Amino acid sequence: MLRSTITRRLYGTSQNVLKKTPLYEAHVELGGKMVPYAGFEMPVLYNSQSHIDSHNWVRSKVGLFDVSHMLQHKFSGKDSIALLQKITPIDLSLLPINSSSLSVLLNDQGGVIDDCIITKHGDNDFYMVTNAGCREKDVNFIKSEAENFNDLKHNTFESALLAIQGPKSQQVLQNFTNEDLSKIYFGQTKFLTLSPLGGAQIHLARSGYTGEDGFELSIPSSSAEETKNSLSFFNTLIHEYPDLVKPIGLAARDSLRLEAGMCLYGHELAEDITPIEASLAWLIPKTRRSEDSKFNGSSIILDQIKNKSTTRRRIGVSSKGPSPREGNKIFNETGSEEIGYITSGSPSPTLGGNVAQAYIDKKHKIGSNIKIEIRGKKRDGIIQKLPFVPSKLYKP
Amino acid sequence: MIKTLFRPASISIKSIKPSQLRSFTTTNPLSFVLNKDSPQYKYLHEWKPIEHKFTEEHEYLKVYDDSTALLGITQYASQALGDVTFVELPEIGDRIEKGDTIGSVESVKSASEIYSPVSGEVIGINDALEGTPSILNHDPEVEGWIAHIKLDDIAEVKDSEDLLDKENYEDFLKKDD
Repeated sequence: MLRSTITRRLYGTSQNVLKKTPLYEAHVELGGKMVPYAGFEMPVLYNSQSHIDSHNWVRSKVGLFDVSHMLQHKFSGKDSIALLQKITPIDLSLLPINSSSLSVLLNDQGGVIDDCIITKHGDNDFYMVTNAGCREKDVNFIKSEAENFNDLKHNTFESALLAIQGPKSQQVLQNFTNEDLSKIYFGQTKFLTLSPLGGAQIHLARSGYTGEDGFELSIPSSSAEETKNSLSFFNTLIHEYPDLVKPIGLAARDSLRLEAGMCLYGHELAEDITPIEASLAWLIPKTRRSEDSKFNGSSIILDQIKNKSTTRRRIGVSSKGPSPREGNKIFNETGSEEIGYITSGSPSPTLGGNVAQAYIDKKHKIGSNIKIEIRGKKRDGIIQKLPFVPSKLYKP
Repeated sequence: MIKTLFRPASISIKSIKPSQLRSFTTTNPLSFVLNKDSPQYKYLHEWKPIEHKFTEEHEYLKVYDDSTALLGITQYASQALGDVTFVELPEIGDRIEKGDTIGSVESVKSASEIYSPVSGEVIGINDALEGTPSILNHDPEVEGWIAHIKLDDIAEVKDSEDLLDKENYEDFLKKDD
């Protein structure tokens, strides 16, 4: 009997009423296999490509990812800096206008409520994107934190959010704008117009979550006409550049970010894991490490930095044979002691063999041999540094 | 899970070129076709099975008149799994009871265990799948057989209510859709 044993990690649970993104029609027309994901009907694969084909396509050409299910936020008002610097460890004074940074929403214990990208659009004007699966929790959390501030406006919105990822992304997108994209580096953002979308102001960010160069476009789609335009832009990219551009589903999105050593909320990140344990200490800049820094969980997190008091850390694992999967236990080389667990794992289309991310006792160093328990048998693995595939971000 | 995620209507049958699987395979899968020295060759290409059954979990069982059976996964399962990256096989001589796990089939995104619908002893395994798991994508129902089992009791197959014949399995796939 063939029963899928590992299925939860991509698809989440199905809900009664699934939402559709503005690009839904295009996915169906392109042969997308739609699955429930974080309350939305999302494409996992398209019938023109297998998982491995689509993964390799993004590493060599251009993939389009519909990420409209993610939640977009706007913060304005004099207190927005104070709020954002309380709920995350970011230092917004270090962020130039029209630049963005990864950060984390923190609870009082320093655990991660969600990861997010924060962009500064003005001195008191910020834009944030959070995960679809955390929508309700994030909104409730931000609302309750916002009650402590007066001059603050927070609202959320949806649009067609399109990630364009792969080494030829600039080459393709440059055909639609007079803006010189070679001057916009990783982490920078710009409002611009794109020729097929009329005068609509598109938010472009040079960013992504695959380890490849690329862009994320937020295209307004609140009216029927805007939705139609965003849909037609998506189709134009695919139909005008068939040798370069293909739509890519959730399956490859997960294997790409795994190879790139990036966290997926609910797997590598959770409310009982601090950013220090998650090997994300770089999210807390030096300027926020002084004793008078106050952000949620700061006393715990700063203690972990100062006294190196964490016992586990997020790290890579490689192996041959059956792939490690979420939840597999990790043992030391002799198999006598349990030392950690796998949070994500799969065969690596780019490298061959298997790659995984894991939480492992800090005592065990990179290069150490370990055992991974898969279907009742302990199998050989090695602790590796992350990322497995180096990021090719566009930097000056 | 396979049942709910991938509907047959949405899957195009296409041939996967070996070059597309370069990270996983070093041998052309076609080199395994027509290996006349294999003890299973005559089962695959000369003898006709006396029973050809299917399970609702998308496995097939071809039973021969010497009371042995070849077990594998169906075309439908093969398409639903996508690129097969690894196959874990049982060992020759393994004693299996109905319902036991005898191996697994993995793709990039998932691992699926294979459970035996019959009791018996493993008398042959398809080692070619270890080096070239993509045979399961090209030809799951002939060259992609997984295990050769000596049945304890052929009546277990004939009298089974869980095993479907071809027509019932196809109806089941339609209903499932």
